[in-house]
Amino acid sequence: MSAMSRIIAVHSYKGGTGKTLLSVNLAAAFAKFGLKVAVFDLDFRAPSLFAILKAENPEYYVNDYLNDSCDAKQVLVDLSSRIAGNGKFYAGLANPATEAIRDMSSKDRKWEMRALGKLLALKKTLLEDQKFDYLIFDTSPGLQYSSINAIVAADFVVVATTGDRSDVDGTKRMLQELYNLFDKKTGLVLNKVLDLSATAKKAEMGNKIKTVYRVPMLGIVPCFCEILRAEGNLIFVEDKPDHPFTKIIAEMARKIENNEVNDGNSIFVEDKLIIPSQR
Amino acid sequence: MIRDGTLAKKPITIFEKIEESLERLNQKMEVIIEIQKKGNDSQKSVLTLPDASLDVMTLLSMPDHLRKTAMAICRCERATAEDIAEQTSRARAVESAYLNQLVIMGYLKKERKGRKAYFYVDRETQG
Repeated sequence: MSAMSRIIAVHSYKGGTGKTLLSVNLAAAFAKFGLKVAVFDLDFRAPSLFAILKAENPEYYVNDYLNDSCDAKQVLVDLSSRIAGNGKFYAGLANPATEAIRDMSSKDRKWEMRALGKLLALKKTLLEDQKFDYLIFDTSPGLQYSSINAIVAADFVVVATTGDRSDVDGTKRMLQELYNLFDKKTGLVLNKVLDLSATAKKAEMGNKIKTVYRVPMLGIVPCFCEILRAEGNLIFVEDKPDHPFTKIIAEMARKIENNEVNDGNSIFVEDKLIIPSQR
Repeated sequence: MIRDGTLAKKPITIFEKIEESLERLNQKMEVIIEIQKKGNDSQKSVLTLPDASLDVMTLLSMPDHLRKTAMAICRCERATAEDIAEQTSRARAVESAYLNQLVIMGYLKKERKGRKAYFYVDRETQG
C-alpha cells in the first residue's frame, strides 16, 4: 500500500487549465470504483469547489483546519449521495468570503510551515484512521505557498496543462525544477486539445508530451463543448456516465489506482534523442 | 545471587555510558566535518539563521543533499538518523551529519532519549 499514490495534488502553472474539473471528476471516478475519497479545495485565493459541488456554508472550512480551529474530520462534507454505488465522496471546502481570502493571503512563513504539517498529518488522520483511499488536493495555480505545501504533502502530482503558449514554458520549468526538486511522481494531463479524433494526432500529442515535458503522461483530454455548455453544473463522471470525458477520467483513475503511470511512459528512462513528431 | 547480578550489571552500564559518549562525540565530529566540507557558507548560515522555519520555500532553496534529509524528516513526526537513512537510502552517519547540521541551522530540534537521538520539526514554538 505504501508505494501507492494516495494523496494526489492537482496543479498547473496557469489558471483555467481544468484543475478543479479534473479534481472533482477524478474523485468521483474513484468513488464510483467503490472507494472512499475526499477532494480538498486548497485554492484559498479563488475558492471554487463549493460552487461546483453546490455545497455552500459547511460548518467548517479547510481554512479552519489549517488555522487549528477544528480537526480534519469536521471539515469534510459528505456528498456520497451524489454518487451512485457504495463509494464514499467527501469534500473539504475553502472559505470564499473576501475576509477569509485576505486572511489566507497574509500568512507568514511560520504559519505556512504549520500548514504543511497539518496537510502531512492527513495521512494519519484520514488515510490511516478514517480509512480513506484517496485524498485529492485541488490547488492554486503557479508557485506559491499553498500550492507548494500541497505538492510537498502529496505522493503524486497531476499537472494540468493546455497547449497554450502562455502555459507551455512555465509548465516545463515547473516540471523540471519544482517537482523534480521535491522528488515527486508526476503525471501530465493535456487538457482542451482540439481535433483529437485522428489517431495520428493522438500519437503526435503523446510524443509531444514526452519530448517537450519529459514526464509520464496521465491522459489527453479533448476540448468538449458539452463541458463548457454545462457551465460547471455537472459532475460528468456521475451525470454523464457514457460521455467520452468520463471514460478518459476513469482511465486516469484506473492508471493511478494500478500504479501504472510510470510504466513504459516515463521519458526519464528513454533516449533523450527521441524524434519529435515531424510534420 | 543478587550480589552477583549487580556486579555483572555494573561493567555493562559503564560500557553503555562509554558507548553513549562515543556516539555523542562521533556526532559532533560529523557536524564539524560537514561544516568544514561546505566551507564558510554554511558557517555563515549557522550564525545567521538561529531559529528558522522549515517551510516549503526554505526547502526549495536548500542544497539538494540537505533537502532530501529535510523532506524525509518533514514526513515523520520525529525520527532518528537511522529512520531517515531508511527513507533516503543513504548511510546513517551521513544522515546524522545532515540532521545535526539542520539543527544548527535552526530548522530542527533534537532530543535525547536514552541512547537514541530524536530529531523533529518544532512546528509549535518555532518561527
